[in-house]
Order: sequence, then C-alpha cells, then structure tokens
Amino acid sequence: MNCANPLDAAILFDYWAGKLSEPEEAVLEEHLLSCDPCGERLKEAIALAEGLRSVAREGALQTVVSEAFVTRAMQDGLRVRQYVVAANGSVQCTVAEEDDLLIGRLEADLRGVQRVDLSLQDARGAEMRRLLDIPFDTEAGSVLWQQSITLAKAAPSGTLVARLVAVEGDGERVIGEYTFHHTRTMPGPGAW
Amino acid sequence: MGGMVSEWSDQELGQQIGAGRDEAAEAELVRRMGPRIRLYGMRHLRDESAADDLVQQVLITTLEALREGRLREVSKLASFVLGTCRMTVLDLRRNTRRKEELLEKYGPWSIAPAAAPAPALDRAQLTQCVERLKERERAVVMMTFFEEEGGAGVARFLGVSEANVRVIRHRAIHQLRGCMGVAA
Repeated sequence: MNCANPLDAAILFDYWAGKLSEPEEAVLEEHLLSCDPCGERLKEAIALAEGLRSVAREGALQTVVSEAFVTRAMQDGLRVRQYVVAANGSVQCTVAEEDDLLIGRLEADLRGVQRVDLSLQDARGAEMRRLLDIPFDTEAGSVLWQQSITLAKAAPSGTLVARLVAVEGDGERVIGEYTFHHTRTMPGPGAW
Repeated sequence: MGGMVSEWSDQELGQQIGAGRDEAAEAELVRRMGPRIRLYGMRHLRDESAADDLVQQVLITTLEALREGRLREVSKLASFVLGTCRMTVLDLRRNTRRKEELLEKYGPWSIAPAAAPAPALDRAQLTQCVERLKERERAVVMMTFFEEEGGAGVARFLGVSEANVRVIRHRAIHQLRGCMGVAA
C-alpha cells in the first residue's frame, strides 16, 4: 500500500529532531496516525537522524563548528579538548583516550572577509585537504575547527599546519597560519 | 461490511466497533494504531517504556470512546487519537517530574535517546557520506544536535536566515539519503 501524498523525508527528519513548528507537527502527526507507509518513512528518517547524532557526538569529522556547539557539547557531558592558537602561532598538543571532541580555536581578524577556506597542510607545506567556504562569525575573532578525534587518537607524533585563507575576487590571501605540534601520549604506536 | 477486517479502512473499523462489540475489528484497530501511537510516544517521550504506557492508555481511551458512541465523527478518528496522545503525554510527564527536569534542562534531543525504532545505518558509510557534504551543509547537519530550539544560533553562525538553514539542512538530508542508497 502506498500513500497518495507521502511525507518528505527531510520534513520527517525535522519532525524527529524537533525542528517543526507546533502547527506543522500537528498536521504531520495527524497524517502519521492514519498512514502506515509514511510511518515506515518516518522510521527511515529516525535511523538517519540517530546515525547522524552518533556521528556528531563521536567527533570523528573535520568540520567548523560554532561557539554554541562547543558549549552545548560540554553541557551534554562530552569531554572537549581545546587548543587556542594565535595567528601565525603554534601550540604543543596531544589527545587522550577519554577525549570526545578536539577543537582548535584559530584566532583571526575576519572583519571584511567574504569567504574563508581552511587549508590543512603537512609539515612540508603540502596541502592535504581544503575545507571550502567555511562558516564563520566576523565578530567572534576566531574560527573553531573540530579536528577528527579518531584520526588524532590514531596519529603518531607530528606537525599539522592549518591556514585560514581569504578568497577574494582576484585571488586569495592568508589570514593566519596555525601550527599544531602533536605529541602522541596514548599507549601503542601511532599509525594511519 | 464485506471483505476481510484487515482490508477495512480505519473509519470502517471505527464504525463497526461503534455498532456493537466486535473483537476482530477492535483487534485490527489495535494492531494498526499501536505502532503509530508508539512512534508519537518515542518522539515526545524519548523513552520506550513511557511510549508503551502511552500506547496502552490511548488505545483504551479510544476503544471506550468508540464502543460508547462518543466519537461522533468516525472520519476524525486520527484527530481524536492525536488529541488523546497529547493529553496522555502531559499526564505521563506530570507523573515523571525528574525526567521532565532533565528534558527542560537539556532538551529532548540531547539526552541519550532510547533505541531507535529502526535498524541502525552503517556508521562508517554514513561518516563518509557526511564528509562529502559541502562545509556549510555539514555544519548545519552536525549542529542540529547541539543547538537551541529555533535554529537562530545556526542561522547567525552561517549569516543566513532560519528559513535558509532549513533549506540547507533539507538539501543535505536528501544528499545523505542518496549517498546511503535510500529510495527517495
């Protein structure tokens, strides 16, 4: 049996995540109480939402996050390790087994900048990855970069360089360079 | 009414129950409504045993209303069940004050959820799919689980409207579903 007007998967995701208004929820819930095919679609949305929730809490992704994100993660009981690095500065860093999230707080003057990329380079300056058009708050004075805790825990000692790059009409310029000297303190040899 | 009970619509089942005690019609209505009410309960209570309580109480109330002819328009059965769910959730929450304090403090989304009523997805594949999203889409999806209600914080962070945050999130969800091989 199919539904003549199946509920959109993204709307069902929003419903499960509590992102719909009360009137939107009321309409959707009344439909769900009379439509089993849409109930199955809701279960698919739940599986995706719960999977994404787990991924978010695992801290395995490389992504830029907001201050509110970090604050909320700590309130939720996650152990957040943060390193503050001034523009063109460096920091000695490590990660422990019990850490849940690893955040690099890259201090930068972002006023007047329209677009920022985050370039990740090895010690020799070779770009390994570039995060394009990252979100940023011009008034925050820093970019919060969530490093992959999974990779950090597996990594041997080494150096990683992050560059904030302003992309402008006729080219790009480096806003700041941030060097992380990682020392492995977890037991066992580090390996990729 | 002819045909098998399992082929009747919800309204036909309700009419049959209202016409006189019909165990087959009641059993079919319970079979259908139970899982639907449970999904509602999981969304609003985030607890399996509380959701089970909700199912029991709402079904009892609904069957009694149908048997006694108190549901004047059987065509509005879903609406009646929804209203009963809402009132029962309020009662259940009143009776579990400690859990309500946690819900108020942390939000229903951020406390550890009960087991999802669906098979878990391949975590490694999902992580790869999330990595393939554009930066802003990834940020929106990840911050869904750590932001205050309303999405104003994410909107400010991205420098867009809350409506745009929803558009970005929906685009990301559809992309993730495609990447995970889920039908549209």
